[in-house]
Amino acid sequence: MTAIAEPVAARPPAETPLRRFWSEFAANRLALFGLAGFVAVATIALAAPWISPQNPYDLAKIDILDGRLAPGAVGMDGVRFWLGTDDQGRDMLSAIFYGLRISLGVGASSTVLAVTIGGVLGLLAAYAGGRVETLIMRVVDIQLSFPAILIALVLLAVLGQGLGKIVVALVAVQWAYYARTIRGTALVERRKEYIEAAECLALSRNRILFRHLLPNCLPPLIVVATVQVAHAIALEATLSFLGLGLPITEPSLGLLIANGYEYMLSGKYWISFFPGLALLAAIVSINLMADQLRDVLNPRLKA
Amino acid sequence: MSNRRAIAAATALVLSAAAPAAAQTLTVGLGSEPSALDPHYHNLGPNNAMARHLFDTLILQDERQRLTPGLALSWKPLDDTTWEFKLRPNVKFHDGTAFAASDVAFTLKRAPDVPRSPASFGIYIKPITGVEIVDPLTIRFKTAAPYPLLPNDISTVAIVSQKHGENATTEDYNSCKAAVGTGPYKCVERVAGDRVVMARNDAYWGGAQPWQRVVFKPIKSAPTRVAALLAGDVDLIDDAPTADIERLKKDARLSVVQGVSNRVIYLHLDSDRAESPGIADKQGNPLKANPFKDPKVRKALSKAINRPAIVDRVMEGVAIPAGQLLPDGFFGVSSKLRVEPFDPEGARKLLAEAGYPNGFRVTLATPNDRYINDEKIAQAIAQMLTRIGIETKVDAMPGAVYFGRASKLEFSLMLVGWGSGTGEASSPLKSLLASFDQAKGMGAANRGRYSNPQMDRLLERALATVDDKGREALLQQATEVAIGDLGIVPLHFQVNTWAMKKAVKYDARTDEATLATGIKRAN
Repeated sequence: MTAIAEPVAARPPAETPLRRFWSEFAANRLALFGLAGFVAVATIALAAPWISPQNPYDLAKIDILDGRLAPGAVGMDGVRFWLGTDDQGRDMLSAIFYGLRISLGVGASSTVLAVTIGGVLGLLAAYAGGRVETLIMRVVDIQLSFPAILIALVLLAVLGQGLGKIVVALVAVQWAYYARTIRGTALVERRKEYIEAAECLALSRNRILFRHLLPNCLPPLIVVATVQVAHAIALEATLSFLGLGLPITEPSLGLLIANGYEYMLSGKYWISFFPGLALLAAIVSINLMADQLRDVLNPRLKA
Repeated sequence: MSNRRAIAAATALVLSAAAPAAAQTLTVGLGSEPSALDPHYHNLGPNNAMARHLFDTLILQDERQRLTPGLALSWKPLDDTTWEFKLRPNVKFHDGTAFAASDVAFTLKRAPDVPRSPASFGIYIKPITGVEIVDPLTIRFKTAAPYPLLPNDISTVAIVSQKHGENATTEDYNSCKAAVGTGPYKCVERVAGDRVVMARNDAYWGGAQPWQRVVFKPIKSAPTRVAALLAGDVDLIDDAPTADIERLKKDARLSVVQGVSNRVIYLHLDSDRAESPGIADKQGNPLKANPFKDPKVRKALSKAINRPAIVDRVMEGVAIPAGQLLPDGFFGVSSKLRVEPFDPEGARKLLAEAGYPNGFRVTLATPNDRYINDEKIAQAIAQMLTRIGIETKVDAMPGAVYFGRASKLEFSLMLVGWGSGTGEASSPLKSLLASFDQAKGMGAANRGRYSNPQMDRLLERALATVDDKGREALLQQATEVAIGDLGIVPLHFQVNTWAMKKAVKYDARTDEATLATGIKRAN
């Protein structure tokens, strides 16, 4: 998206949908700020193994004797820990970089999977109607009546620890939102003339579903998905905080916060504070982006 | 304005009226939750501490684990294999029925064989082969061989009522229905995960207690426990987190009490099976041989661990590095055993000699709510082992899950602690290091299945030696053999910390127990 920014500034805008979208999106400074923040966080997450001073998950690299050093302190082998260390002697800066990698990775992958599953089921429910719709939508209703955290906790208690299992749990709690969203849109869209036209042409059901109906249902789905990425990240952090996410030797942001929480009363703020800040930055920047995306993609909100 | 003043006055009145009533209730924040109120279900510190409120033992242990009369007034050996106990007269159970020798006989029948027990009291009771009731207040115990430790062992077993205990399940005790003892407090209710409530037993033979009501609240999260004390929600907490001790000591409203415990924190390794579940090579393929069967590998592992660093950094100085089963000063401690010095080079060399120059992978299992800083110790050890080539993953889980799985032998390497219930060396030797033998009640917590016939013989002889000096020498030898083999790898002895409001006081106990009976009003 940043790549598109330059031509907009350089040349007189030609009215392609993408350019129109960008100029509407860029109209809000906060959204641009969010975008910049997100790009920064995403870059850090992707580049973590190359830019981190230390591999915080390699137990041979961290030393308990460097434990709980204050920000700026120098460790035993002369390395400076800019954000201090946690109780195991892990460099907080590196741990946060890697933590962001996990958080964004888990957030993005679980959202993509949940959108796919929820999207297909919602579309099917809207198009097929009848029993299929009743079945799918009742499952959605039942699932949405439980708090997400409860479902995730139960699932993880059954499945055990691990990155893949967290993704499974997050997909399981999220797909219902997408199913419901896309069904709502699809119910409206499928009564429109272009679907009728496609049906008159005797196009196959799959073709109508995925080539005609789906593209027109996408905008609200994108909006929900962006907001849900932030939710997924927060939920992962919550699960990790409760000790149900990743192994303790590979802490994500939530687990770092949980570890530091024990030291809050004794004044070692940095173990919780900086990971908390990183989590906040990631979630707020995504939410700022999502808000503007919603405004741009929802015609009803335009004056 | 006058209205507001009236409300204020009324509030003040209500508060002042409530104050004496509140002072009658003692609220205690516990770091570990007892897994049951059934006193025989699980031989576990928190359970045993809880049981001492509701039940008595024939012989009680004071805060330094010295024996004092309990439900028995006196005890003596009649001959080499017979002990006679004179019971205390006029003792009543909570429901008013009289306590008699038949209750003792019933207890000894029930205690070793509670269904699904994760660690039974068999190690303390199985040597008793016969029970003879002479009269309602006299009972004799027969043993197959001389059994000088019988008074120590019997002091760990809570005496339950036969009337309520017959056919009672662990659940019946948990619901307070069967938890009718002779102890200083009566069971009111237990809400798992939230509280155990007790009320004073006014008819207690040892004199009435200062508190009308005692509420035990398990608060596993250390910061939350400290916060509860700071906020005044609880009067006393045990297992005060090491990170906060300095701060708690500085607080003028609080006082802190510390004492070395009899609990050794150690690593147990699967030294028995040919293939062990948690061990793989560096590529992640299960290893065909179990490296921990080789004493050299066990030695390497012990050398790789920097015990002073763990004590200094993880425990913040509040622990003592360990080289054997009990800290100095306890009966059976060997003067020959030293804390293994930190020697990573030597460890690597030993690993190479044993045929693992590139090391291997292992999973270290640990509880995360049972011992002081358990999960953090495990991580520190994982670092140290990884550095000599034993790539270590940590699998942390709540104690409730952990102990069941450990006893089912699901782990190859595990972090555990053992407090000597009897206050001398035979308890850890029998439980952790003797060859596993359910019938004899030996090796009940020997989850690595270490087995050395020489050590078994020494222990057996020690247990049958009446002379204290001779017995201590044999216990020392048995310890030297078992630790020389690294049947377990000792890490450190816990130092326990209690923090409390200035209004109450408590004496540190070597058995780590937090007993309402020991909590007095200050001044």
